[in-house]
Amino acid sequence: MDAKEKPRVAFFSFTCCEGCQLMVLSCEKELPDILSHINIVNFREAMTEKSDDYDIAFVEGSISTKEEIKKLNKIRKTARVVVALGACSSTGGLNCLKNRYSMEEVKERVYGKKAALSNRHVQTIPARPIDAVIHVDYYIHGCPIPKKEFLSFLTALLMGKKPDMTNHPVCVDCKMAGNICVFEKGISCLGPVTRAGCDAICVTYGTWCWGCRGLVDDPNINAHEQTLKRHGLDPEAVDKKFALYGNCKSSNKCLTPKK
Amino acid sequence: MGNVNDFKFLSERGFQGLVKGLLKELKVYGTIVKDGFPAFGEISAPEELVLSSTPTHLSAKEFFFPQREVLLKFNIKTAAFSPVIESVDQAIIGMHPCDIRALSLMDRVFAAGTPDPNYLSRRSKTLIIGSDCMPDDYCFCKSLGNSEAESGFDIFLHALGKGFLVRTGSDKGRAALLKYAKLRAPSTKEFREFQGLCLKRDSSFKAKVDAPPAELPSIYAKSDESKVWQKIGAICTGCGSCNNVCPTCYCFDVKDEVKASLAEGERVRNWDGCTLEDFAKVAGGHNFRKTRAERLRHRFNRKFRYLSSTFDSLFCVGCGRCSRACLVKINIVEVTNELVSECHNK
Repeated sequence: MDAKEKPRVAFFSFTCCEGCQLMVLSCEKELPDILSHINIVNFREAMTEKSDDYDIAFVEGSISTKEEIKKLNKIRKTARVVVALGACSSTGGLNCLKNRYSMEEVKERVYGKKAALSNRHVQTIPARPIDAVIHVDYYIHGCPIPKKEFLSFLTALLMGKKPDMTNHPVCVDCKMAGNICVFEKGISCLGPVTRAGCDAICVTYGTWCWGCRGLVDDPNINAHEQTLKRHGLDPEAVDKKFALYGNCKSSNKCLTPKK
Repeated sequence: MGNVNDFKFLSERGFQGLVKGLLKELKVYGTIVKDGFPAFGEISAPEELVLSSTPTHLSAKEFFFPQREVLLKFNIKTAAFSPVIESVDQAIIGMHPCDIRALSLMDRVFAAGTPDPNYLSRRSKTLIIGSDCMPDDYCFCKSLGNSEAESGFDIFLHALGKGFLVRTGSDKGRAALLKYAKLRAPSTKEFREFQGLCLKRDSSFKAKVDAPPAELPSIYAKSDESKVWQKIGAICTGCGSCNNVCPTCYCFDVKDEVKASLAEGERVRNWDGCTLEDFAKVAGGHNFRKTRAERLRHRFNRKFRYLSSTFDSLFCVGCGRCSRACLVKINIVEVTNELVSECHNK
């Protein structure tokens, strides 16, 4: 294939830890093959060159300043395909925890009393997923994204196949992994309503599902709230459990701006 | 319970010797304790085995029909492909009568129509060592008429206070015992102890289905419009655990996974489950079973009605794993009994 015909791919990062970009870079074994099919023209974590001409934009991070909204709109205008990369981008992620407080309180908590009074340096707005600002074509979920999912998404896109997005709960991945259910062990988790695709690694390695991949398409939240209550969580604890990652798109208590 | 002549006595040490012998020849899986719960796992020494009186979390189906397996390797550029059948000689120790019954049903499913070479290859290389159990709150195999394992095993162990009474079910089982274990005829005392344990087990079942198994297909056939489906559909999260822990749920999905070279790839088979939202979704996005109520009704009917005409058997073996795993407490015996009672009151 001629180099000019290769799709031009850009990676952008907003409010996040940039761990999902790192997952892309850690596909070391596959990168040579990947680079024979695409041209990467923008990738701050990996290169200095930049270009405003690209076909596919992978967008990582949630949107938490007005400046970020402007930049994101520009990306949408330029790219033919926009992909939300990781939890912050696809559901709002951990950043949305701050939306439970007033922005003044948040600024003061992080930057101290002086910063709270200043509008010059800290222009924060409630954090939101990128689809609260622009139309998103595809989502790759997770905190961080699984390498496997990024690769299968990219190969599908390059072959003109419909990318396969998991829509079953984490319980399925847990059974695939042969795990004992965490509820049996007296712990509680968000597996029954959370989108799988992660191979249930958190449970496999001894913790529980935190809900980082957001909810399945049709979650039965009420039923799972009842399960959590039956396992001893009070309503506030249930609310907190959902708030960590998933609340942003599920509960009416959530202050996160939506689609 | 059988005749005393059908049994031999095997000491604890004899059993350890048998397992040690098998470990030299085969991959050995058996019941172990995982996070405090009974589960099947690979063992490398007899001490790791813990024969469990209650069912394991997952069934033993993964040793014949793994969660994920490669069926085919291919290359798009060269159009070359080759089938993959991964199977090794293996022994599975600690399968209960319900698990053995379930395996005999799976044998028929995977041999019917176009026989499944992957399953059948694993099955033919497997030595089954069954073991006794004691019902917990969810076990109801007795209600379905399969609380005793009459066949389907190579060796069956009945644990006594000390040692085992042993039955053999195949030449393969007899040969393994002959090679690795010293057996003797059981004493009268040992046989009495066994009889006592059988009676205790038989009277320990708490969960019961309120109709004979032969009537269940027709009871389910009359229950399509029952309110039970809406009731359990409202609390189901669609997590698929009932399918995945079930020893007779055999549905799968096949996908092609292409490597980053966009040339080589693998055709992979994964477990699938009819209670999952996308199970009956087809091209274009139409879903034949949109609601959780419809999906549950389908699953229950698969266990008690639909397959009974094809295979002349219920496809529930009464292990109770689905009820045990269900976080919203949908209980297969309670649901069935509600349908039984609705039918009798009609």
